[in-house]
Amino acid sequence: MEFKLLTAAVAAATLAVTVVGAQAHGPTRQKVSEKIEINAPPEKVWAVVSNFQDGGWIPVVAKTEGTGGNAAGAKRTLTLKNGATVEEEVAKLEPEKMTLMYRIDKVDVAVLPVTNYSSWLVVTPTEGGAKSQVEWRGAFYRGYPNNDPPPELDDQAAINAVTGLYKAGLDGLKKKIEGGS
Amino acid sequence: MKSTVILRCERSEPRRMQGWSGLRTQRAAAKAGYPLTHPSPSGRGLLVLLLASAALLLITPARADEAFITSQPAEMLSIVDLPTGKVVASLPIPGKPAGIAVDPAGRRAFVTSPDGKALTIIDAATRTVERRVDVGGGPLGVAVHPSGSPAYVADWYRHKIVAVDAASGTITGEVAVGDSPSGLAVTPDGALLLSADRDSDQVSLIDTASLARVATVKVGARPFGVTIDAEGTRAYTANVASDDVSIIDIPARTVVGTVKVGQRPYAVALAQGRAFVTDQYASTVTVFDTATLARLAAIPVGDYPEGIAASRDGTRVYVANWESNTLSVIDSASLKVIADIEVADGPRAFGAFIRRTDP
Repeated sequence: MEFKLLTAAVAAATLAVTVVGAQAHGPTRQKVSEKIEINAPPEKVWAVVSNFQDGGWIPVVAKTEGTGGNAAGAKRTLTLKNGATVEEEVAKLEPEKMTLMYRIDKVDVAVLPVTNYSSWLVVTPTEGGAKSQVEWRGAFYRGYPNNDPPPELDDQAAINAVTGLYKAGLDGLKKKIEGGS
Repeated sequence: MKSTVILRCERSEPRRMQGWSGLRTQRAAAKAGYPLTHPSPSGRGLLVLLLASAALLLITPARADEAFITSQPAEMLSIVDLPTGKVVASLPIPGKPAGIAVDPAGRRAFVTSPDGKALTIIDAATRTVERRVDVGGGPLGVAVHPSGSPAYVADWYRHKIVAVDAASGTITGEVAVGDSPSGLAVTPDGALLLSADRDSDQVSLIDTASLARVATVKVGARPFGVTIDAEGTRAYTANVASDDVSIIDIPARTVVGTVKVGQRPYAVALAQGRAFVTDQYASTVTVFDTATLARLAAIPVGDYPEGIAASRDGTRVYVANWESNTLSVIDSASLKVIADIEVADGPRAFGAFIRRTDP
């Protein structure tokens, strides 16, 4: 029963949020930030992080397909291991700040319960450039655009899902780089 | 006043999400006076003194003004002394504060909390909460009548505007408007209230005496902020989905111009014959000439620039950058950012956030 309720809520929300370009949303945008230290020089880490056409360091990603490299306007479609897809676009690339900003153009709220999502990946040198810190920040609205959301699509659900994605993603990045693969 | 750090307690029950992460996490989001000490006894000296005082009166107001900046995730009102660029007070406001309006006399500030369904009325000088009014729904945009009362609060979810008496906090009336009203502004003579009805792509004009809607004007797609010029003849809406600004002739009740700006415009400020528009997605402030409508600049600011307001003398424009947690100061003549002031996490400052401090 619970699953059916969730499905119904998700379907309703999906219907509501996919009809307009600038998606309808609640009044409160959320923020999430996660960081990790990686035992590798920042240039090496940035090379992986800034390669928008390979999202393979995010553990749930099975396949990346896209166009435009990593310049502003570049696109990619991530196919997840469960078959869902996420369409994304580079908003801003700042190599001098080792910062990549991108947005999600299209995702089902059943996959990630957010709308109007943007994120930033920032690499900062630590220990005089011997190591790196990677920060992954996100800005987004919850999946449910109206007042009094169901718990599956409320602000906390959105924050939890993005936090989980960032933690798993940064762990995957660290393993990939420190493992030398 | 010292700044305050607050801890936000969040529900700790784990939620299972399919898809992306499957991870269950919980997040603890910590997340002038000028002394005139040498008065001359002579008449000439007195004249000089009077002239000097007059000059100070002309100069001092804009220099001593303050910015009242709502920080939504931090649930904080940061009060910035504009001459020094310092945060001089931090006032916790629960319920994810977003909208702000300071009355023209600088006596009270009105802050909406959409998640708390409340309007907080603040004594601006003492930085104390006078009252917290339960207005229900999703209060977001707020404007105050030039007389100082009432405050008008836009209900994003219930598609109406409520009027709240500033002194008593009593709800004195309401008026239905289009879908998801967001930005509000009142003409300088106090006669008309304008509401940007975001999801109806229109602006509603409301007679403040009768609290009755007298007209609607179609604008670009998803208007969010609305700003009225000092003469009360033109209004400017930032249209989030069509990436442009609509210019409304208020007496004629028609759109007389449209200007393309950066991606996802949020709000407009007016200074020195120029319009300054925050472009949320472009991380810029687009500037255009309000007479010729020619674009003059796209000034890089922080990420997610949102609330924007001009100093009373028009020499500065202040921009709240939601992602970067800064208030950018733009010189409205050179069109350059001359300072960035750190404020509490997630500054939104949606509304008229400049407070005059002289009586």
